[in-house]
Amino acid sequence: MKRYFGKILLVVVPVIAALVLLYPTYQASQLEQKERQAIAQAKKAGNSSDSLEIMEKFKKQYGEALKTAKARRLKLGLDLRGGMYVTMEVDVVKLIEESAQNETIDEIFKDVIAKTRKEASASDEPALNIFQRNFNNIARPQGKSLLNYFDVGDVREASEEKIIASLNESIDKAIDQAQEVIRQRIDQYGVSEPNIQKQGTRRIMLELPGVTNQDEMRSLLQTTARLEFKLVRNYKEIVQAFYKIDKLLSEQIKRGKGFATADPTTMLDTLKKDTANVAIKTTEAKKDTTKLAQKSDTTKVDTTKGNQDTVKDPYAGLPPEEAQRRYALDHPFTTLFSTFFVPGKNQNIIPIYYTSDQFPEGEYIFRIPKDSIGKFQVLLNRPDVAALIPADLEIVIDAKPDTRIKQNQNIEIYDFYALKKEPELTGEVISSARASFDPTTNQPIVLMSMNTDGAESWARITGANLQKRIAIVLDNRVYSAPTVQSKITGGNSQITGMANAEEARLLEIVLNAGALKAPVQIIEERVVGPSLGDDSIRSGLNASLVAVILVVLYMIFYYGLGGAIADFAVILNVSLVLSVLAALGGTLTLPGIAGIILTVGMAVDANVLIFERIREELDHGRSMRSAIDEGFRKALSAIMDSNITTFFTGAILYYLGTGPIQGFALTLMLGILGTLFTAIVVTRAIIELLMAKGATSFDFGQPKIKSN
Amino acid sequence: MRYFKNPNIDFLGKRKLFVILSITLIIACVLITLIEGVEYGIDFAGGTEVAVQTTNPVATDQIRTAVSSAGLTGVEIKSFGEDNQYLIRTRESANAPELISNALTKAFPNEKITILKVDKIGPKIGSELRMQAFWAILLAVIVMLIYLAFRFEFIFGVGAIVALVHDVVLTFTIAVTLNNLGIVNLEVNLSILAAMLTVVGYSVNDTVIIFDRIRENKERHKGMNFIKLANLSINETLSRTVNTVGTTLLALFSLYILGGPVLQGFALIMIIGIILGTYSSIYIASAFVIWYMEKIKKIDLETGFREVIGVKPE
Repeated sequence: MKRYFGKILLVVVPVIAALVLLYPTYQASQLEQKERQAIAQAKKAGNSSDSLEIMEKFKKQYGEALKTAKARRLKLGLDLRGGMYVTMEVDVVKLIEESAQNETIDEIFKDVIAKTRKEASASDEPALNIFQRNFNNIARPQGKSLLNYFDVGDVREASEEKIIASLNESIDKAIDQAQEVIRQRIDQYGVSEPNIQKQGTRRIMLELPGVTNQDEMRSLLQTTARLEFKLVRNYKEIVQAFYKIDKLLSEQIKRGKGFATADPTTMLDTLKKDTANVAIKTTEAKKDTTKLAQKSDTTKVDTTKGNQDTVKDPYAGLPPEEAQRRYALDHPFTTLFSTFFVPGKNQNIIPIYYTSDQFPEGEYIFRIPKDSIGKFQVLLNRPDVAALIPADLEIVIDAKPDTRIKQNQNIEIYDFYALKKEPELTGEVISSARASFDPTTNQPIVLMSMNTDGAESWARITGANLQKRIAIVLDNRVYSAPTVQSKITGGNSQITGMANAEEARLLEIVLNAGALKAPVQIIEERVVGPSLGDDSIRSGLNASLVAVILVVLYMIFYYGLGGAIADFAVILNVSLVLSVLAALGGTLTLPGIAGIILTVGMAVDANVLIFERIREELDHGRSMRSAIDEGFRKALSAIMDSNITTFFTGAILYYLGTGPIQGFALTLMLGILGTLFTAIVVTRAIIELLMAKGATSFDFGQPKIKSN
Repeated sequence: MRYFKNPNIDFLGKRKLFVILSITLIIACVLITLIEGVEYGIDFAGGTEVAVQTTNPVATDQIRTAVSSAGLTGVEIKSFGEDNQYLIRTRESANAPELISNALTKAFPNEKITILKVDKIGPKIGSELRMQAFWAILLAVIVMLIYLAFRFEFIFGVGAIVALVHDVVLTFTIAVTLNNLGIVNLEVNLSILAAMLTVVGYSVNDTVIIFDRIRENKERHKGMNFIKLANLSINETLSRTVNTVGTTLLALFSLYILGGPVLQGFALIMIIGIILGTYSSIYIASAFVIWYMEKIKKIDLETGFREVIGVKPE
């Protein structure tokens, strides 16, 4: 008995190991079934206390066990159970662009960035290299150096190398930070068993089982969540800038340059038509807002003409339609939106027309219909137009249309603001955020509290800007722009302007997780519906089962008892692959199943090689025992060589591949290791144990030969 | 059970015929592939692919009209798995799933439209994956060549690689041709790549087992004509070849028939590749080594083969 103890161990230990490692998988599926039953019962019970009790009971009885089992079980890939697979990439070009100092950015730099963005979208080369190359080709001949655009602190020690090094560092940091932020967002959103991995130097791969609301997830992932508090500067200065833009554009149109594209005459025509249309739309909007103003304030009704009265009307005497058309032609920019002047508190807002460059001092309001926003932004992005906007200001549009106008007139009108470019405070000071409802309006809001530093600054800022408006800007859209009524101490603030409670909740999540240092974009997205998952797992399992049964039967048919032992070894091999996969925390995917089937093939091959050899040796007249020894010995080199070459393929796939391919490669490699162990060691141990009692024959399916 | 008792088939006697057959087949398939082009799946081509399911089967033409009218370009519709499942592909990637689902709901108000899966691949990822595939195969080949050159003689390694290239090229072009002829739906995607790499492993595996036997027999039957030696080795391993290929094909056919749309392409490629791999181990790999000895090294295989294989004469 003692001689065979080692061999028994060789057979029993792997069996026990496989059973132990796979038990949690079995247990988890059993418990989940129980959980489903409990949930069904709870639903049936209807009565809330009863159903709660049922769930409590389940949790108490099985909760812990289920949790541990789930953690240790063999996880199924997204292709088998449904969910969302996303690859995100840090937008390095944007990061470089944003690292440059705002006030130094000029046309040359914008050129470099635009070219870099174009090239980077089609190339594997690191974006920073592309940027450097383009910078050398475009900016350097014009006498620019990186030092012109980037700030590295101490001027004396500044050098181009340092700038590149620091950019490189921030790219590296950005990916780690993005991963952390996204992990927090996912956790708070409540995805169970997410898999978040860094891939290469600037990508993050996410596997989100069970996620079906792709839109919500996409916005949760891509939101930069950059929160800024900026002063609203809707003053005379910006209105005058708009006036100048009108002049510039209308002159360009008159000179036939239009929007500077291929055919100036047709462009001119379409522009005329377009602006006329917009003019009509905006006048409608003006009417609406005027009505609104009338409703809200009944003391004064004279809102018709605004500053028209104070200056000479150049269109006097023309029929109203003609005057309107002419006005639109002369004011291609400002007819895209409407401008109002706020004469003072509790007074009606007055529409403003850009007939002269004389504007009253004070605060203005700008409203733009949704249809015009696209054109408005195109114009603002034109370099000649942008040059007319004061350098320290930027135009930012509201996140949501004005709810009152939308409710009353069903037109989507957005406010936009001239904001001071430099933020007063950024979201870094936010220590926590909580979604809630405004007790008076019942609108969703997000309450924010700030850390000590932030609270101090906030008190100082609000104290210094009493009765002025501060815009709360998130990812370059204004959520609200309240007027500061009093100095705010204690560091509390709130965001309003969300469409619904769900959006407030997403906002709470992203604010708590913090902002992304660099924007990220989704470059690959796969969603598998649970129904397809069910289908594919069922057919995959069925096919595998049939395959295994056929192979098992064939082996017994051809190799008799030896075949049965080989079958045992092969099944043990598959169980070992699955249990190691579970222990490593890997996931079983469809290509993984394919890898296992290939493993079955390879494992069978190893056994076939051995048995064929044994039979050959028997044919040569060897005794059973020595034939077995020789068979194993001679088959070894062929088995090793063939498995090692296949193992190389697996290793290369694992190293170079991603996602599904890696799943395939991993099971293949585990399978080959398992094959070597089970076919060479376990099969032999079993055969020798079976022959332990001095047997001289063994059924390898060989034809009976006369014993001599 | 036994199929062959001491088989003695002259496999290599007809080697020239089979080599000519292989070369003709390769030229034909490569030409067809070059003319017809390769249809890349979403993984390599980029774009958006949405699998939808309707309650009842509908005409693909109607789906095409509905989806095209939603303003999507480069729309392709394919049936997918069951009769009521369709694969819709478009070049656009921004919110294509929403557009498709809205367009279909509008076009088929009586059908419940279920989105089964959505794959969105940016154009950059697509080309990256293509490069990745190329490097993976190239690297696998190089590593195997090194290993085989180390384990056997260098020329055997080359022989195995020649057989391997034969298998990979033929399997790939046959698959592409089958797809282009509309016989099966086999676009080149990630799972096809996985299958191709498995074929790589299998092809070498099969060749190695025969070479291993040649190496062994070379010691046992010193001085034997190399062609005879190779033939003997192939015959001796014939039983193993039949049984292993048989069981693997059994498994793959059940995968092909029962595995559903996702596994089908994978299984078919493997079936083609394994049949070719077995064939090439016998006719191409050994034939190449024989050709090299006869024509390049000018060795008289009757007498002088030991100068190349085995111990070099002092």
